[in-house]
Amino acid sequence: MTEGLKLRVDRRDGLAVIYTEGYINNQGGEEIARAAYSLLDEGYRRLLLNLTGTKIINSIGISILIEIIEKMLEIDGRLAFCELTPTIEKTFHIMGLAQYASIHPDESAALALLRP
Amino acid sequence: MSVPAPSSGGDLRVELGQLAREVLPGGRRALDRLLPVFAALAGGGAAVYVAGEEGLRREALAGSGEFPERLVAPPAEALAFAGGFLAWSPAGPAEQLPAEALALALAVAAAAREVQLARRLRVQDFEAKARGVQIEALYDVGLAIASTLDFERLCEEILMHAVSLLDARRGALYLREGATMRLHRAFGGDAEPAVDPESEEGRELLSGTPSPSCCALPGATFLLGVPIGVARVARGILVVGDKESRHGVGPFPDGDRRTLELLANQAAIALDNAELHRDALEKERLEREVELASEIQRQILPKGVPDVPGFELAGWSRPARHIGGDYYDFFRLDGEHDRLALVVGDVSGKGMPAALLVSTLHSSLRLLAERLSIRPELLERLNRHILESSAANKFITLFAGELDPATGRLVYLNAGHNPALVLRASGAIERLGPGGLPLGLLPGASYRAERLELGAGDLLCLYSDGITEAASPADEEFGLARLAGVLESECKRPLPEVVRAVEDAVTRFVAGEPQGDDQTLVMLRRVG
Repeated sequence: MTEGLKLRVDRRDGLAVIYTEGYINNQGGEEIARAAYSLLDEGYRRLLLNLTGTKIINSIGISILIEIIEKMLEIDGRLAFCELTPTIEKTFHIMGLAQYASIHPDESAALALLRP
Repeated sequence: MSVPAPSSGGDLRVELGQLAREVLPGGRRALDRLLPVFAALAGGGAAVYVAGEEGLRREALAGSGEFPERLVAPPAEALAFAGGFLAWSPAGPAEQLPAEALALALAVAAAAREVQLARRLRVQDFEAKARGVQIEALYDVGLAIASTLDFERLCEEILMHAVSLLDARRGALYLREGATMRLHRAFGGDAEPAVDPESEEGRELLSGTPSPSCCALPGATFLLGVPIGVARVARGILVVGDKESRHGVGPFPDGDRRTLELLANQAAIALDNAELHRDALEKERLEREVELASEIQRQILPKGVPDVPGFELAGWSRPARHIGGDYYDFFRLDGEHDRLALVVGDVSGKGMPAALLVSTLHSSLRLLAERLSIRPELLERLNRHILESSAANKFITLFAGELDPATGRLVYLNAGHNPALVLRASGAIERLGPGGLPLGLLPGASYRAERLELGAGDLLCLYSDGITEAASPADEEFGLARLAGVLESECKRPLPEVVRAVEDAVTRFVAGEPQGDDQTLVMLRRVG
């Protein structure tokens, strides 16, 4: 039994929410990247990553999230995170993700900022 | 550096080719703009390769041509720059490229070099931040020592931190149970349910460098394990498996072992604290339970003594713990002669199991005595009932008597209890016979009723072995002779004072030495 990442994507008016459940490691990060880049191809420029089902992330997963952030910056898109565990939120701040993507306690707060 | 003025023809090509081997400023955007121009001037396609940990990796591509993502070595006719090279298609000597292409190659190389250095800086920055995360995580586990007393949550936190900090794909936490390390929690896949720390596999895990054949995490190729606490008396093992990178999994470098050891050291203290807290909670729960059971038992024991014409009656019991295995009771039996039942019992064992058996004895004895009086059949029924309702190693010694106050006759049965003492008014002391087997020991045990005639001034003393076996600091027993001596010297006093005198004598004798057995006395004296 492996604890792979489960993803669910919810497309809304002009933005998309990616819900994660499980370990964001190399495999999990690449799944998120695939989903995110696919949404960019569909024309979405505002993405929210809701990590409510994720308790653990490693540095490989973080590096992939940074790549997604860089991609979003290149195309003048916006990426936000919400529902982080305290440990993951602290990690994001230390790793510098919070400088380029906003972090919100819950989805409604994130959506209020992201909505076009 | 000054750029030489363009000369003509082949000279210009050579000069620009030389310049292209040196560094010019650039960047990602410059690279992306310049490379397609260079490719067009070269007549087909072009690619920039840079050297990384995994060999030569294609950094940028433009136009057509065969440019694989990775290369082992640069093509012979590429233009090399520090940390990479520029290749083009169709292949050919640099000197055959148009002069403009060679001039452009300088800028392409500089831009590529800058891209490479920027990436290296980003990686270094990322690694520095990741080390910051590691330090924070170690600090967090340290904080948990003071804040997380939930044992299960703490175990989860420790394993999660270990897996994420070391970029592992899998992990497991083993905790010691006796001589075995038992799997407590696994992450990312199955783990071996138990590890013997003395086995080869156990020693490998505790040494930190398990061999590939170690099967703690089935399916994992690379393992790292450290003891939680000091290796010889480790309270657990922390194992992680398969170090992740962007290209798959690999072994854990030496530094990871040190990080895992630091985490395990913090974890050992945190687990100790959480376990102490868990034990304290359990102890508190048990104490509440014991207090409740003690209260139930206090309710079982008589609250006073019945008024029996022509007789004095007194009872006393002191449990060795909160709840004891001793029991005594007096109760009136239905019938025309106002008969009284006296009972003293001792349940094997102490604490809660003994108290539960006392409760069983109390209710069944009262119910049966109502119907059967104190007769052999009563004990035979009780024997069967106790055999059926108690653990195999539990038994009860019991003295049960039925007093007819009108005649002073006591009919009694003894199921393995200490022989009662009778102090006659004359001063003579008699021991009543030991009787049959304790209740609950053997099926089919039989009992015989005996008779005792009590005359005026005669005193019957029933006691549990906690009295006669009460031990002094010198490990000497109080004994039957001392009990008889107190009875002889104090027998003229009111009966409750005689009981008190025995209690005091035993208390003085043991001189504060903790006693392992309950102490019970029941006395009956005919006064008229």
